[in-house]
Amino acid sequence: MINERILGYTDRLSAAPGDSIAFKVSAPLPGKYDARLVRLICGDDSPEGPGLKVEDVASEFAGSHKARQQPMQPGSFVWVTARHPFELANFTLQVMIWPTLPGNGKAQGILGNFDAATGSGYALYLDEDGCLAFRAGGNAPVSTGVKLLARHWYEVHASFDSGTGRVILGHKAMLPYHGQANTVSHTGAVPAPSGEGGRFLIAAWNDGKAAAAHFNGKIDSPRVSARALQPEQVARLRGLPLDVELAPYVVAAWDFSRGIGTVKVTDVSGNRHHGRTINLPTRAMTGWNWDGSEFNWQKKPAHYGAIHFHDDDLYDCGWRTDFTFTVPDGMKSGIYCAHVSQKSADGSLTEDYIPFFVRPRRGTATAPLALLIPTASYLAYANHQMPSSWWFEELSSCKFTTLNEYDRYLEEHECFGLSVYDDHTDGSGVCHSSFLRPILNMRPKTDLWQFNADTHLTDWLEKKGIPYDVITDDDLHAEGIECLRPYRCVMTGTHPEYYSKQMLDALQSYTNGGGRLMYMGANGFYWRIAYHPGLPGVIEHRRSEDGMRAWFSEVGEYHMSFTGELSGLWARNGRPPNMLVGNAFAAQGFINAVPYHRTPDSRDPRVAFMFEGLGDEPIGDFGIVGGGAAGWEIDRADTRLGTPPHALMVATATDFPDSYHWVNEEMNHTHSAVNGDTCPRVRCDMMFFETLNGGAVFSTGSISYAGSLSHNNYDNNVSRLTENVIRRFIDPAAF
Amino acid sequence: MLRIDADGPRGAAIAQEFKAAPFGPYSADLQKTLQLLRWGYARGRTIIVCTRPYCEWRLGRMGPQRGMKVEIDDSAVFTDYGAAVWACFRARWQEVTGKPCPVA
Repeated sequence: MINERILGYTDRLSAAPGDSIAFKVSAPLPGKYDARLVRLICGDDSPEGPGLKVEDVASEFAGSHKARQQPMQPGSFVWVTARHPFELANFTLQVMIWPTLPGNGKAQGILGNFDAATGSGYALYLDEDGCLAFRAGGNAPVSTGVKLLARHWYEVHASFDSGTGRVILGHKAMLPYHGQANTVSHTGAVPAPSGEGGRFLIAAWNDGKAAAAHFNGKIDSPRVSARALQPEQVARLRGLPLDVELAPYVVAAWDFSRGIGTVKVTDVSGNRHHGRTINLPTRAMTGWNWDGSEFNWQKKPAHYGAIHFHDDDLYDCGWRTDFTFTVPDGMKSGIYCAHVSQKSADGSLTEDYIPFFVRPRRGTATAPLALLIPTASYLAYANHQMPSSWWFEELSSCKFTTLNEYDRYLEEHECFGLSVYDDHTDGSGVCHSSFLRPILNMRPKTDLWQFNADTHLTDWLEKKGIPYDVITDDDLHAEGIECLRPYRCVMTGTHPEYYSKQMLDALQSYTNGGGRLMYMGANGFYWRIAYHPGLPGVIEHRRSEDGMRAWFSEVGEYHMSFTGELSGLWARNGRPPNMLVGNAFAAQGFINAVPYHRTPDSRDPRVAFMFEGLGDEPIGDFGIVGGGAAGWEIDRADTRLGTPPHALMVATATDFPDSYHWVNEEMNHTHSAVNGDTCPRVRCDMMFFETLNGGAVFSTGSISYAGSLSHNNYDNNVSRLTENVIRRFIDPAAF
Repeated sequence: MLRIDADGPRGAAIAQEFKAAPFGPYSADLQKTLQLLRWGYARGRTIIVCTRPYCEWRLGRMGPQRGMKVEIDDSAVFTDYGAAVWACFRARWQEVTGKPCPVA
């Protein structure tokens, strides 16, 4: 039985000695909850796995804390700073909209200061049936009675005249169709708005201090005028600069194409009624006037004046801090969790492990090896809901949908924010993901994917007594190669899929400069993302052009709002993963994994160190993740795609069944030979090559690989091979 | 397009094959049948829900939209995941073909 859970998050994922971390906790039961600090060694509690391994660590926050529930408030909107200028007697609200869920049974606010809590103010909105409507105070609303089409641009307006007590409500379709109500005008009687209303909001309305009635879809060019304009006057105010004759009546005219990379919303009327976005709606969206003449918003921002709002956007929960922890000097680098728990009266336990990563002081190392925790990829998958988002999920995984405890909790609570693998409520793809919210799948005791699978690496390193530091993608992005320079060898996680340019540049510079890189997974360095330059803890991604996409970016929306960079595959940005690690994503399948077999390249004296103690037997015909070392997602070498010509393919796995599917970015045309049975490119290649200045790269090309390390009490050929590589890679002798 | 032989001998043979080896490998005929049973969103269709980690599963159904309770079928509790997969196969067979799966 799933009850409401205790949950938490931190204000940062990575911390060095001297850094302070704030923990935010929501506890479902009254009274107290318990907290303690643990170092996480292994999070795999599956019957086949090494078991959950945590060590208690002394901390000042250990003990009981006062419990409180903290709310989740998803849904994006614009909040306008000024309030009183919108308390108007006569006015016109006008805006271009592209609704995506008209008639979803809920009111969807577009413009206004209406406050549902007090029944005051006014709003232009879509009613429950998807018709344009206007309401003032607690009075009966006026509706056109004509449902708008989804994903079509309309100019909509409401002109209210207090003298006549009438509102003219109308909309005009930008793409007219035969037999449709392309232009609608409806006049109704409405008493003057009562009271002051709340804050002026765009894409929602007020419900006391909260926002409600969130709009789903794009909004472009909102205007408020202090006069009841006629429909032809509304059309004259659509563009910028504002019509000279009507401009004096304009109270606010927001231009969303300004400040696209920020949360600022700019009023260009001259009245400076600026605002800001809440919960990061998607910007750099094609506007009503986008005509395909430009695909990069930076080159023609006037065509990108739309913001796409969603009722399930969530950037920052904004919870209050329950306790803080300052990393002490000398604290061992590693994965840590605040373990919080509450017991109910019936004895049932609710608990959460809130993870964070302790690194050494900047510019220093406590070990020659760094484990680079792929926090950007953790964010990309944060709270994913693929079982409900993907119509093709079962065809991709070749399994019937099976919800685990966390899947079920997320499905039953729509408030936790989504991952970039999901669709929003309106079917549009999710572009942002943040860690300022509880992330239920970035936890021990969850699926062996990303965070929890990566604890197979920490578990093995601990068992082998190999000293290591932990650093994160967040550090790599912020500090570049300086973050890597103290280390002789850097080891990746099992699925470092999402990379910013800063991160990729740093790793490439590191290997070119003589560093050693162990790529312990697959489908790495695949998608291009951006961290926000100013906002903490959030990444952006667009599913552009090509690749194994959870959803499609709309045409014209391939460039990210945070930075303007083209998103999509790194391979389509001129930086194929093969260049960095010798192989790149080739196929995926999630039924079983298979062993590698040595190739003639493995006899090359250059890699003799790697195979010391190994014979000709299959490598990794065992493992927790699919029963083999090569599987789940797999990579293939190809010099045509950027694999260095001197790279050695030291082992390969080819015996994949038809549940493995070849990646579509290599497929220029559909055909029938696309799975493990029939496609020779469904292959997993283990690679080695030397880099400039004495460095080297080792690539497993498999997500399953780390799941084989613990087999036979860590005494097996995958473990031996990996240890051979580490011992050589931390040796300062140049390759 | 392939039609599942919902109540004929060929369909029964395919269902029997899945029951014997729910995790494969599958014959070409079974693979095609599975693709038809799995095509489309899982929402609103029979799925498997793990009700105790690693040891207990039930059939269930997601609600019409996110934020709603997952409907759990308590009439059968599976302590073997393969048995749950087989039960889900039988339920999907009924949902897709409109006829009961010919193999019990």
